[in-house]
Amino acid sequence: MKKYFITLFFLFTLGALVMGQATDPLVSKCVMNAGPNAKYLKDFRVQLSKSTTTGELRYKAQMSLWKNTKYRFSMCNSEDSKGQLILTIKDDANKVVLSSFDQKSGKAYPFVIFECYKSGIYTLNYDFLDGQQGSGVGVVSMVR
Amino acid sequence: MRGRLVFILITVLLISFSCRNSAKRNADFVFPEADSVPVGEAEKLSAEAIEEISKNITSPVEIANLLQVLAVPYSPDYLASSIDANKQPTAFDKALTLGILGADLGYLNMYEKTGSSIDILSSIRKLAEGTRVGQFFDFETIKRLSLNKSNLDSLLLLSIDSYTKIDKYLRDNERGQLSSLMIIGVWLEGQYLATQVVKEYPDPILKDRIGEQKIILNDLIMLANPYCNRDSEFGSLCKDLQIIKEKYRDIRITYTLGEPKSVEVDGGLKVEQTETSVVEMTDAQLAEIIEVTKIIRNKLITNN
Repeated sequence: MKKYFITLFFLFTLGALVMGQATDPLVSKCVMNAGPNAKYLKDFRVQLSKSTTTGELRYKAQMSLWKNTKYRFSMCNSEDSKGQLILTIKDDANKVVLSSFDQKSGKAYPFVIFECYKSGIYTLNYDFLDGQQGSGVGVVSMVR
Repeated sequence: MRGRLVFILITVLLISFSCRNSAKRNADFVFPEADSVPVGEAEKLSAEAIEEISKNITSPVEIANLLQVLAVPYSPDYLASSIDANKQPTAFDKALTLGILGADLGYLNMYEKTGSSIDILSSIRKLAEGTRVGQFFDFETIKRLSLNKSNLDSLLLLSIDSYTKIDKYLRDNERGQLSSLMIIGVWLEGQYLATQVVKEYPDPILKDRIGEQKIILNDLIMLANPYCNRDSEFGSLCKDLQIIKEKYRDIRITYTLGEPKSVEVDGGLKVEQTETSVVEMTDAQLAEIIEVTKIIRNKLITNN
């Protein structure tokens, strides 16, 4: 009988914890990995199939970025993701402001710190490296 | 009939794109003419366009973060403490107040003022339940995180995530007018906070941030436009937003050119932007924005 109640209590507590953390675990993990100086702002859940074309990054979202603010853009991949999440940010004139992928070296950075000095509405373009199929999250934080 | 619909759709699309490309390098930022779209046409804005607009609105957490960077001390005087969540008769009142208190919660969270945040959390819970979106607000976990003071990031994530889910649910369930009200409430309270602080701490960075709101003000008006003829409450709010816009009309935002500088740091990339935006706003213009924001915000929380 005692075992039954302990099991029931355990299940109830677990259930409460799961309910209390309805936020996507990958988002939570990515937010935590940003470090103690980073303060969470937004996240973008990116899930894409393999691309049949090359060129433009496929997932696009707009976001206002403000002068005199230091942002951290973190890219995190699901364990089962085949591709690595990359980000390119363009301003309202469609000029590339930053890219987490260096085409010369072929290196994809897991995060980019961006010191913004021009307020405006920017387009965040996400995709998986080489147009691979993938699942991941892009987290935007502020850093001091 | 079909031809008319196509015409309206093309008109709205053209106007939407003109909004996005309005700020050019080395040119003044001017309000696009999108706000002059007839209400009926603006109503045809796609759900995606509205979602994009809603994402552009400044987070109150960003304003609070800026205040902390500028070493502005916390003050409870800026909060909408007079709001009584039990006395919000209409859906309009509830949704707008939900936004206003959401901004206050962001401010309190950033300054880790847990005692006050519990009161505001209780009000938010009542309002969320009154708007039938209580299921998205994880009150107990947010309360626990607030009291623990141990994990600000989890607290911010959960608070912002709750609001994001509420916003999406409202839009997906044809209650977009409440989503718009919530977003307008968040922005207005953030603007009130910034404008009240700048009176005591006239830091140029904070002044710039207030002036730069011109960039997103039109988007905010676009969110409200479809509902301006819905009822007298919405009609009045739309007029208030136009009054704020009018105060911003002569503020100039110009841009200087530059190429970003990148350097590898700790396994990541650090990019410094060398392009800049410059706000030209006189003290008189700022004073008018401070005043009009205060009048409108106080009117809305008193009406509640």
